[in-house]
Amino acid sequence: MDGVKLTNIRKAFGPFEVIRDVSLEIPKGDFGVFVGPSGCGKSTLLRMIAGLENTSGGRIEIGGRDVTHVEPAKRGVAMVFQSYALYPHLSVAENMGFSLRLARAPRHEREAKVREAARILQLTDHLDKKPSALSGGQRQRVAIGRAIVREPEVFLFDEPLSNLDAELRVQMRLELTRLHRQIGATMIYVTHDQVEAMTLADDIFVLKGGHVMQSGHPLHLYDDPDNRFVAGFIGSPSMNFVSGVVTRADDTGLVARTEEGELRARVLGPKPGPGAEVVLGIRPEHLAPVEAGGLPVRVEVAEELGGQSFVHARSASGSDIVFERRENRARLDGQALRLGAAAEKVFAFTPEGGRLR
Amino acid sequence: MTRRRLENIALAGITLTAGAIWIFPLYWAFVTSIRSDARVVSDGAGLIPDEFNPTSYVDALFNTSLIDWYINSIGTSLIITVVVLVTGMMCAYALSQMQFPGRRLLYLVVLASFMVPAQTLVVPQFELMNRLDLINRWGGIILPQLVVPVVIIVYKQFFDALPKEMKEAVVLDGGGDYTLLFRVYLPLNWGITTALGIITFIMSWNAFLWPFLVVTTENMMTIPVGITQVNDAFGVAYARVMSVALLAAAPVVIAYLIFQKRVTEAVMISSGVKG
Repeated sequence: MDGVKLTNIRKAFGPFEVIRDVSLEIPKGDFGVFVGPSGCGKSTLLRMIAGLENTSGGRIEIGGRDVTHVEPAKRGVAMVFQSYALYPHLSVAENMGFSLRLARAPRHEREAKVREAARILQLTDHLDKKPSALSGGQRQRVAIGRAIVREPEVFLFDEPLSNLDAELRVQMRLELTRLHRQIGATMIYVTHDQVEAMTLADDIFVLKGGHVMQSGHPLHLYDDPDNRFVAGFIGSPSMNFVSGVVTRADDTGLVARTEEGELRARVLGPKPGPGAEVVLGIRPEHLAPVEAGGLPVRVEVAEELGGQSFVHARSASGSDIVFERRENRARLDGQALRLGAAAEKVFAFTPEGGRLR
Repeated sequence: MTRRRLENIALAGITLTAGAIWIFPLYWAFVTSIRSDARVVSDGAGLIPDEFNPTSYVDALFNTSLIDWYINSIGTSLIITVVVLVTGMMCAYALSQMQFPGRRLLYLVVLASFMVPAQTLVVPQFELMNRLDLINRWGGIILPQLVVPVVIIVYKQFFDALPKEMKEAVVLDGGGDYTLLFRVYLPLNWGITTALGIITFIMSWNAFLWPFLVVTTENMMTIPVGITQVNDAFGVAYARVMSVALLAAAPVVIAYLIFQKRVTEAVMISSGVKG
């Protein structure tokens, strides 16, 4: 594997523990993404890998080497910051070659590496400019170039696209994917944006309260979440949740009576008996109007996106239910509907948030 | 005439009056310096220049140690300026960017020393320099002038305001504190360094009390101290005193005219008007 391996990593600021016993592995050459809400510890974890934060416990390995107590510059990592952190008084070329200059690399070697990085990032025409003369996207590319020039084993990205506008973000996302394929280095990326996580990652690590809630391939997390948090966090718009009480359970699943109606979920493993409380989750694309059964709702508004639309409806108990429509543009505003979903597309969770499979 | 126009005229009048009051001593010094000694003390000597007699300037330049004093002033002021900037910047960097026990206390000491008038320290400083055998030596003139808390305070404010990612980028690029300070932070704060350099230089050029106390050898005197010697050597020779005074002030005045914008900025930065 020889990528990045964390074993029982802990981090505490005084009595407050922000990273609690995290163990994970990102194989060499993979694109790993730490994703989670604000304060989940994802940036702290990244900074610990970089060596910018000390670890309170555990072991960090990069390329099979224990770097837990190695100084940042000797870990074989390069980091791209959200604020770019370029040196404003230096030109683009000087910014990118700064680390090689400090390492006293020969001038021709330095210039060759800077030129190559600039070519990859299409910055060749801007090498003599100061960062202040560049656009946000170009500045971010310079920051990435500064990382490339160091030829690190691991690239670390701390929310690098947050300061860019929406259009540029999409463009830079694609460029990062392309860059990853081109360079083939291990990359770890931190974001709170699950769309970025889904589109970039080979492996997503969903964090909450300093724990990894689930990790795996993006589509695996989307299709088979381990818990309600991951189910709700991955996917946009997020999964609909309705609370209910089990009325029947058999070999193939359970039927739960919610305040609004009745839904069947496929649960093959151990399942709670009648009378137990459950939470059912259905993704917007799996909900569709049905003639009978399902959840009665009243449509409020539709977000028309052209090819698809997200219809926001209100259930009898007042919760917001979103479902997706394609190809059908008939207005539904104000209409009363019943929404149903196939049992295998309905996820069941315990009231504590664990998945019933 | 509108009310606004009247206000402007009144304001212009006040400013001009204040300017006239401020410039009058300089004007009078100039008028005095171009008169002969006899004319200066004669009854009819008015405010209007009525003769041009450069004797006092020639005397000042060739019959006093003015050239020595110039060299002494330039030398000590330059050394003081460079050392104050380098040590002030390094001290501010440590206070702003490094973690060590007693950091806050040390900064409070710097702030407190900012509030102690230099004159109150004259006696203990003199005693200290005496024990170090530095009276009538360059070290004695320079050392006590090397402590300029305002330089530390201004630099610290600047370092505090820099994003911490810049420091982390340097750390990841393989640089340490000296790289960060001298290759990143210093080029970023040239404006502040120039401004602080100018006020430190002017302050040490104009310093009178301490060099006056610590130096008694004439050829080691700085210009402001040297002026007192002109008085002694020629009796009350007003024209010569004034010409030496004007020659003493000339470099600072010329520097001010050249760096006017920077000096104004420096005064504003050091007084806290502008950060």
